[in-house]
Amino acid sequence: MRYALGTVLSLPLSLMLIGLLAAALPMPWQEWLVLQLIAAVLLWMLLVLLVALPAKAKPILVALGVANLAAWLALQATPLYGVGA
Amino acid sequence: MKGERLRRMVDLHAWVGMVSGLALFVAFFAGAINVFHHELHHWQEAHYGDPASVPMGMDGLLEQVTGQYPDARKRLYLLPDAEDPGVMWFESSEGDWVTAHATDFNAEGVREDVPRSALADFINELHFALGIPNPGWPINIGMTFMGLISVMYGVALFSGLLIHWPKIRKEFFALKHEGNMRRYWKNLHNVIGIISFPFHLIMSVTGAAMGMFTVVAVLLGALVFGPQLRGVITEETEVWPAVDSQGDTVTMPLMEDVLSAARNELPDLTVDWLEIRGYGDAAGWIDVAGSVPGYLGHHAHVVLDPTLGPLRVIAPEQRSFNFASLSPVYSLHFGDYGGLLVKLLYFALGLLGSLLFVSGNILWCERRSDRTGPGRSSAFLLRLTLGVCAGVVIGIAFSFLASKLLPHTPLAGLVAVAERGVFAVILVLLVAWSLRASPLRFSSQMLRMAPFCYLAIPLLQTVLEGSHAWLEADNRLVNLLLLAVAACLWVVRRQFRKRIRQAEPHPLWVGKVSGDNPKHLTETEREAGTVASDSAS
Repeated sequence: MRYALGTVLSLPLSLMLIGLLAAALPMPWQEWLVLQLIAAVLLWMLLVLLVALPAKAKPILVALGVANLAAWLALQATPLYGVGA
Repeated sequence: MKGERLRRMVDLHAWVGMVSGLALFVAFFAGAINVFHHELHHWQEAHYGDPASVPMGMDGLLEQVTGQYPDARKRLYLLPDAEDPGVMWFESSEGDWVTAHATDFNAEGVREDVPRSALADFINELHFALGIPNPGWPINIGMTFMGLISVMYGVALFSGLLIHWPKIRKEFFALKHEGNMRRYWKNLHNVIGIISFPFHLIMSVTGAAMGMFTVVAVLLGALVFGPQLRGVITEETEVWPAVDSQGDTVTMPLMEDVLSAARNELPDLTVDWLEIRGYGDAAGWIDVAGSVPGYLGHHAHVVLDPTLGPLRVIAPEQRSFNFASLSPVYSLHFGDYGGLLVKLLYFALGLLGSLLFVSGNILWCERRSDRTGPGRSSAFLLRLTLGVCAGVVIGIAFSFLASKLLPHTPLAGLVAVAERGVFAVILVLLVAWSLRASPLRFSSQMLRMAPFCYLAIPLLQTVLEGSHAWLEADNRLVNLLLLAVAACLWVVRRQFRKRIRQAEPHPLWVGKVSGDNPKHLTETEREAGTVASDSAS
């Protein structure tokens, strides 16, 4: 259950973290979309791995949920969503 | 790594391995054969001796197809072939892609229903989507499922690396057993995993990127980039914008001239296919797609207008960063960047990968049985693993046999259906049998039968088609690969028998799952327990 939930929660987090990276880097995000896809997939795998490390499942799953919310809020402060196409 | 943490990592490795193991076995066994997809396309064509008439060329075929099927004028793919060129287009009346070959048309230019094998496409579908059909939904269920499986596979790889890193030197090449087969399976699994780790990492990342593309793109659009993403993906990945027709017509150039014009722009280009948008429309364009040898990301495109004026060249040193990143994703996954040697390496690593997943599942079953005592779940998974693996291996062999045999019988029209049908029937029968039989006896019988199934394929083709089976280069290559599969299965059988003679099998294998068999820890768990007690003291 821990790993299944970790897999589900890690996907949006990895995508949003890559989005934040795209917002932070000085190059246009459109120019390295394929690399973002590959990086997001790798990050997703590593985040699922991270879920296995703590002794208890609940704190890490809650942390993943909180991290998702924080990443989403941080993305709202970037000009990415619907801007700059 | 601390003992408890190591144990959790082992649990994660086992969980993701168990969830993805059987799907990965299918993908790898079919994928090993699919490395030679292009050659298999030639192999599957029935040979009835010398053709009575010479089929029309590329231009004649295009004229016939675009004249009879208006949908083909919007967008079509031309597969150049000196003997029998093909055209592929989306037929809205059928709601599906249709392929027509020059040999499908009779002397009057009427397209006849010529039965054709679809073996190469079936093997490809087994590889990337487990053969799950796509009913035209916006998302390909089988492909997305395999993308998710690839993510699990990546997690299994990283967790496996973390587990084995501290003792990697000790375990390297340590293929031995300790009185039963468990130690042998474990070491076999570790050795294959360690030796082929880079290959598996490439397969998992590229497989996940391709399989999960739709899901990731939808989520990226929803969470990060907004509705603009769709347009950006189209803009960044298409070779030229869609046709904006003004209604002006144009006489299409000869395809030989198109190929010459493309080679004029890119002299090293090896052509794979041509995409024609707006056939006969002055606003249309032709994309000559192929490869420039000598590069990892070797894919190239020359886009021409109908007057053969160059519109765009996408080649290894003349392309955007997105194209430069995308090309290696494909070539690293398909192994088509380094000639025959690299393809053979991918073939061997694909077969070894299959063995990795079988051994992983067997280990999980034995380990679970050892830890929690005898149980139905581990016995069931062991039997299911053996049934699926035998079903896939023998089922694919029978698909090959059906592909060669049926065109020479009155059932020739059913060849494409039979290739899939015989596979499904054999898979279901063998899985059902494996769930009832003793695993040891079932494995022995399947391993005795499987090499002969693969040996029979080239023999059948030789009987039916004579020397054509060996004189034509692609036929010879595919037949030699099938013989190699037979030899590999023979080696596995020999090793399996040797193990049975040398060591008593785990109780699960002989169906003796009873309370009398003591619980005992596997070596990793013993080591994890030792580390945990050391750190506690």
